[in-house]
This record gives sequence, C-alpha cells and structure tokens, in this order.
Amino acid sequence: MTAQAAADETMLIAGIARGREQDLAEFYRRYHGRVYAFLLRRLGDAADAAETANEVMLEVWRGAARFEGRSRPLTWVLGIAQHKALDRMRRRRPDAVNDVQDAEALPDPGAGALELLAQGQEAERVRRCLERLSDAHRAVVHLAFYEDLGYAEIAAILQCPEGTVKTRMFHAKQGLKRCLGWASVEEGAP
Amino acid sequence: MNGVAHPDELLPWYANRTLAHAEREAVEAHLRSCARCRGELALLAELRTKVKQSMDTGAPDDLGLQRLLREARRTQRGPARPARRIALAAAAGVVIVVQAALIGWLATREPAIEPLGESGPAGVVLQVRFDPAATEARVRALLQEHDAVVIDGPSALGIYRVRLPGLQVGDRMAAQKALAEFRAARGVVAQAELQ
Repeated sequence: MTAQAAADETMLIAGIARGREQDLAEFYRRYHGRVYAFLLRRLGDAADAAETANEVMLEVWRGAARFEGRSRPLTWVLGIAQHKALDRMRRRRPDAVNDVQDAEALPDPGAGALELLAQGQEAERVRRCLERLSDAHRAVVHLAFYEDLGYAEIAAILQCPEGTVKTRMFHAKQGLKRCLGWASVEEGAP
Repeated sequence: MNGVAHPDELLPWYANRTLAHAEREAVEAHLRSCARCRGELALLAELRTKVKQSMDTGAPDDLGLQRLLREARRTQRGPARPARRIALAAAAGVVIVVQAALIGWLATREPAIEPLGESGPAGVVLQVRFDPAATEARVRALLQEHDAVVIDGPSALGIYRVRLPGLQVGDRMAAQKALAEFRAARGVVAQAELQ
C-alpha cells in the first residue's frame, strides 16, 4: 500500500468517526466483500455470514473513533469480524469455538481426489476440504492464502501467539494434503 | 538449516510473500539445496491459488449497503456527530465543481506541487477535505493565511495533502493549533487530520 493509500484509509476511518455516512459507504465498498468472505469461510452459511458482516460494519460505525492507526484497516476490521464470528458460533453451539479438530481425525476423502483435480474441479475440492478442517485451522488458511497476510498480522486478528498460527497452518496443510490426495513427502511436526 | 531441519513453519509465508527480509533469505538459502522443500513450496503455491479460487463473494451488495446506512442512522455513537443534512447527490455534484476549480488553480501553481512519496522540505502535513461549497478564493485565502502548500491530491476520496513548511514536525502544540484552525474554517474545510 502506498503512503497516499494508507493516508486515505486512515482519513476514511476518521471520517466515519465524525459521522460521515459517505465514508462508511466507501468503507463498505472496500471491505465488505473481504469481511463477508472471512465470515463465510468461518461460519459456512451465507445468511449467517451476511448478517454477521452487517454487524461488523455497524461496529465500524460505532467504534471508528477507537481506531488508533497502529494496524492496517483490514487487520482492524477482520479483528472485529473474528469477535463477531466467535459470538455467533457460541450462540449456535457453545463448544464450537474450542473445536480444534486434529488433522489426523479428518474423514477420509475417498477415492477420486486426483481425478477431480485433473478435471478442473480443484477449487471446489479445496473448498470442500477446507470445510472439513476445524474452524481454527480454516481461519489461518483463509487469512494466509486468500488474504495473503503475514503470520504476525494473522496472530493479531485471531488474538493468539504467532507460534500458534504457524502450528495451526502446519496441521491444516497436512489435513488438506490428505484430503486432496496430494503427493506426500516425509513430514515432521514443526 | 538443510539436512538438520526444514523450514516448514515459514514456507506458507514464503509462498504468500509476506516474510521479512531475514527470514526470506534464510528460506531461500535452504531452498537452493533442498528438493523436498521446493516440492513442498510448489504444493503450497498451488494450494494458495486454489484457496483464492474457492471463494467468490460477487460484487458489493447495494441492498446490504442501504440496510447498513439505515441502521447506522438509528445507532448511537460515542462522539457527537456534526450537523450534515446536505443531500448526497447534490453534494457530489458540488464536489466535482470545487475540485475542478482547485485542480485548475493548482495547475497554475505547478512548482509547488510535489509528486507523491517524494521526500520534500520539512513541515507539518495535514490531510484536508475541503467543503463542497467552498470557493477557490476562500480555499486560497486559508492556505495563504497559513503559508500552506498543497503537495498532493485530490485522492479518490477528494483528500488533499497540505504542507505547512513553517512548522517543525516535532512541534505537536503548533501542529495541533494549526489543525484546530483548519477545522475551524467553517464553509471551507469539511475535515482535516494530521498526517
């Protein structure tokens, strides 16, 4: 991001803090899609994700004055989305947020994974395999590979140590490789 | 690293190009002599591509935005909200007129405009959004009063960067005073922030 773009973003949030609806609308246009994608990946339900994304944007409206500019706006808004996603999961199923499924316990993907890849259905297959991951693992993969965020930024969003982010990614990758039937190489826990 | 331990923890972030310089160099040094990690990296790169393709959120939802704005108007917020009852459509039209006037005026002052990102002379920099109803003459008067120079803009949001060369960067009190004076210029400045 250029200096002007970063300054623009900060100005945008300052405008929201001052009650400028047009700045909220611009923020929505810039970030709603990414917030929605994060929530859809977490919640797995389009209606829930849309409803929660709206809650996130309202929180931006209410809380813009608290933005201190120490992180990028994307990190800040995804951090809000993280809280809202956990709230919604708790309402759905109280133990859901602790459901860090062991990659070893993933269901067998069954035969034909490689054939699906060859037939150009990789993206759909990856989506289905991501759904089989635990929420904690899926969140890290999404932020690392969909948003291209660094591990420190992901740790800030998920509010966990950087080492935890790396470990979750390691196990998520192992689970995905098994699910996708991708070639295995000798593995060792980090 | 090679032959002792593979940098599995870092490879995903090497694949998404977010590693800091030192870590990136360490991984690259390992990759040069480790076929196993090169294979792992190729797999991660493929996975990254597929993860991006696996989510299509479509275009921004205008109905969702209208709902958000309706709810925002009903929502209590912390800081007081300034009076603002200008119809958006009308305001947008005025913004274009004012910006055209500013751009024309700036074009006549070309030597004072510096390219974005170029290190220029010292001085406090403000980010300013001028009031849509402000005339070019009033904007010019405000800038001259503060011996200020427009150095960049307008951005996509209509924001200008304005330098006050007479103020030292570290002089917070003077900077805050200038900021307050810009904000107090009713009818000229819609919003001003310190950069």
